[in-house]
Amino acid sequence: MNGLVLLGDALVLSGFVDALVDFLGPSNLGTVLLDGLAKAALYVMIASGLTLVFGLMGVLNFAHGSLTMVGAYLGGLLLVLTAGTATGGVTRILLFLLAVVTVFAILAAVGGLLEVGLIRPIYDRPPLYQILLTFGVTLALDEFVRIVVSFYGIQPISEWQAALATKPAALSQSYAFAGVSARGLALFQILFGVATIVAIWAFLTKTRYGLFVRAGSEDGEMLAALGVDVQRVFTLVFALGTGIAGVAGVLLAWDPSWGASVPLAAETLLPAFVVVIIGGLGTFRGTVVAAGIVGMTDATMTWWFQNFVDFTGLPEMTIFLILVLTLVWRPQGLYGVSEVGGH
Amino acid sequence: MAISSDTANSSDTADETTASTLPAAGRTDAWYVQYAREHVLHIAVIAFLAAYPGIYSLLVNSPVSAEFVAVLPRVETMVTVLYFGLFAMSFDFISGYTGYLSFGHAAFYGTGAYFVILATNGKFPGVGPETPFVALLVLGGLLAVALAIVIGALSFRLSGVYFAMITLGFSQVLYVFVRDWSFVGSAPRDGIAVTGKLSGFQIGVPGVDALNLAIGQLTGDAVEGFLGVLSFTPTEVSYYMVGLVVLVSYFAMQRIIHSPFGRVMIAIRENEERARAIGYDTFRYKLGAFAISAFFAGIAGGLLAGFKRSVTPESGFYFLVAGDALLASVLGGFGTLAGPLYGHLFDETVREFLSKAGGGGGLLPYLRDHLGANTMATELYNGLTVAEAIDTFLNGHAALYVGILFVLFVLYVPNGLLGTLRDRYGGTLSTVVARWFQ
Repeated sequence: MNGLVLLGDALVLSGFVDALVDFLGPSNLGTVLLDGLAKAALYVMIASGLTLVFGLMGVLNFAHGSLTMVGAYLGGLLLVLTAGTATGGVTRILLFLLAVVTVFAILAAVGGLLEVGLIRPIYDRPPLYQILLTFGVTLALDEFVRIVVSFYGIQPISEWQAALATKPAALSQSYAFAGVSARGLALFQILFGVATIVAIWAFLTKTRYGLFVRAGSEDGEMLAALGVDVQRVFTLVFALGTGIAGVAGVLLAWDPSWGASVPLAAETLLPAFVVVIIGGLGTFRGTVVAAGIVGMTDATMTWWFQNFVDFTGLPEMTIFLILVLTLVWRPQGLYGVSEVGGH
Repeated sequence: MAISSDTANSSDTADETTASTLPAAGRTDAWYVQYAREHVLHIAVIAFLAAYPGIYSLLVNSPVSAEFVAVLPRVETMVTVLYFGLFAMSFDFISGYTGYLSFGHAAFYGTGAYFVILATNGKFPGVGPETPFVALLVLGGLLAVALAIVIGALSFRLSGVYFAMITLGFSQVLYVFVRDWSFVGSAPRDGIAVTGKLSGFQIGVPGVDALNLAIGQLTGDAVEGFLGVLSFTPTEVSYYMVGLVVLVSYFAMQRIIHSPFGRVMIAIRENEERARAIGYDTFRYKLGAFAISAFFAGIAGGLLAGFKRSVTPESGFYFLVAGDALLASVLGGFGTLAGPLYGHLFDETVREFLSKAGGGGGLLPYLRDHLGANTMATELYNGLTVAEAIDTFLNGHAALYVGILFVLFVLYVPNGLLGTLRDRYGGTLSTVVARWFQ
C-alpha cells in the first residue's frame, strides 16, 4: 500500500520534472512570455484609470469595471456599425482607433458627470462612502446595460460575437518566428498597451495637469493653497480615468477570452483591484510593474494548468494569492506610501 | 458612521432612569414585567413577524387579495430574508461597529453552507447524515471562526481600503478553490446538493424528537392542530424554525454589542488610536469581533443550506454575496445591527415585486389581470406595447432600481432607515419606546 503511494508520488514527481523541462524549453518559454506580456498590457489598460483616480482623490472606484464593460459594448457597436464584410484589415485597424477615440470621449464625459453629480458631494465623508456610492452605481449601470442589450436581442451573459467578428483576419492568425508562436492579437495588445503607458507617463510628467495630479497625490491641500483649482483637476482626472476604462473595454471587445458581455464588469474589476493594490494604490509605476507580474503569473499558470495541473481555477486563484501575499508582506503594495488608503 | 456615541450614551441614560425613577414612584413590578417593558418594541416586532404568515394568508384570501399578492413578500421569500438578514447582521457586526469593511464576508457564509451539505453527504469523518442539524450549524459556525482567525490575524495589520481588499482577496481565493475543487462534488461549478439524506434538516433540541421540526419547502414538517386550532405548511414551519435561530443569534449579537466588549468595538471605530492609548489591545478585540461575526455568518450559511438543500459557489462564496449584505446594511443602517434585516427585507420585497419568475405575484401578473388586454396591447412607441415595455424595463430588473435607490441612500440618507430614526429620536428605538411605557 505504502509502496503504491510512493510509486504514485514518484510518477507525479517525474511528470512534474518532465513538465518543468518542457516549460523551460525556449519555444514554450517564449510563447508564455509573449502571452504574459499581452495579458500584462490588458491589465495595465484595465487598472491604470483606477490608480490615477485613487492616487489623486482617494476614491476607490467600484464602478470602474462597469465602465470598462460599457466601453466594450460602445466600441463593439461602433465597429459593428462601421465595418462591413468588404472592409480591409488596415481600414479595420483605423476604425478601431476611431472607436477608441470616440469611446474615450463619451466615457470621459460620463465620468465627468459622475464626479460632479455624485462623488463631489461626499468627498468630506469617510472613504467607505465613496466605495458604497460607486458600488451602487455599478449595480444600476450593469442592470441598465443588461436591459438595453437584451432589448436589442443580444445575449447579455455571453460574449458579443458580432463585435469579435469585426477583428481583421491578420490579428486572428498565429505567427511563428524561431519556434515561438505568437497570436497576432497578442502582439497588437502589447503594442497598444505600450502606447498607453507612454501616453499616460507623458501626461503625468510633461503636462501641466500631470504636474497637478502628481502634486495632488502628494498633498492636495497644499496644491489648493498654491492657487490650483483642485476641484477641476479632480473632475478632469476622474474623466480621464473612466475614459481609459472605456478604451480598455474597446480593446477587450476584440479578445475572444474576454469579449463584450455584462459579466465583464466583475471580471475586469477584480483583476484591476489586484493590480492596483499590488502596485501600491495611486502609483502609476507600481501599477505597470504589478500588471507585468500579474500578467506573467497568469500566463505561466495558464500553461501549467493546460499541461500539468488538473485545476481550472489555477491562474485566477494564483492571482488572488499574490494579492494576499503582497498585502501580508508589504501592506502598502510594491511602490505605495503607507499613509495612502489608510483608515 | 457617527451614530454610535450618542446612541450609546442615550441607552445608558435610559437604563439609569429606569433604575432610579421606578422605586421613587413606588412601583415594585416583578422583574419580568420590567423586562417586558424594556423590550416592548422587540416583543412587538417579534409578534408581528410571528403573525406574518397568518396575516399573509388572511390578506391574500381577502376581497382585495390581488393587491396584496402583488405587494407582500411570500412566506418562502421571508425565510430567505431571515437567514440572509442574519448574514447581513453579522456583516454589520464587524463592518458597522468596528469600522473595518469585511468585503470578503461571503467566505464565512459559504463555509457554513458548504460544511452543512458536505457533512451530510458524508465527506467529513465524524459527522454524517445522522448528525443533528443544530450541531452541524454550530460546527459550521466554528469552522468559520477558525477561518476568521486565520484571515483576521493576517488582515488586521491593515486598515481602511487595504483591509477591505485583503479580505476580498481571501474570499475570492476560496471561491475559485471551491468552484473548481472536485472533492465537493462531480460538477463543482454548478454547486452541490444534499444527496446523503432524504428527510429534512431538523431544528430543535437534539435527541428529543418531540422538540424538533424539519425545515425545507418539500422536506419540512407540516403542523396541524397546534394549540387545537392552528395549522402550518412546511414553508411556514421553516419560517418559524429559521426565525427562531435568527432571533437567538440576534439577541446574542445584541448582548455582545451592549457588553464592555462591544463598547471597545465602537471605540475602535470612533478612534482606534485613542482606544489603544487607553490600554486596550485593539488587535485582539478586532480579531475577537471578527471571529464572532464569522460564527453567525456561518450559522446563516448553514440555514441557507438547510432550507434550500443546495448551494452554488455564486450563492455562497462569491464577493457579490457580501455586496448584497453591504446593500442591506446601507439601506437599513450601518452600525444598527437590526437595520440590515429590514434593509434586506426591503431589497427582497422590491426584487420580488419586479420578479420575472412569477409564482408569488408581483407587478406583471397584477397588471395583466387588471389593466385589460387592450391597455396592455396599446402601442407606446414604434411597436412597443405596454406589456412589452413592462416586461423589458421592469420585470427581472429590480437591480437597476435598487441600485439607484442605494445611490440615493448613500447621498441623502447615509445612516439608513434605522440609523436615521435613531438620530431623530435620540436613541435606539427600543429604549425610546420603553420610555413611553413608564
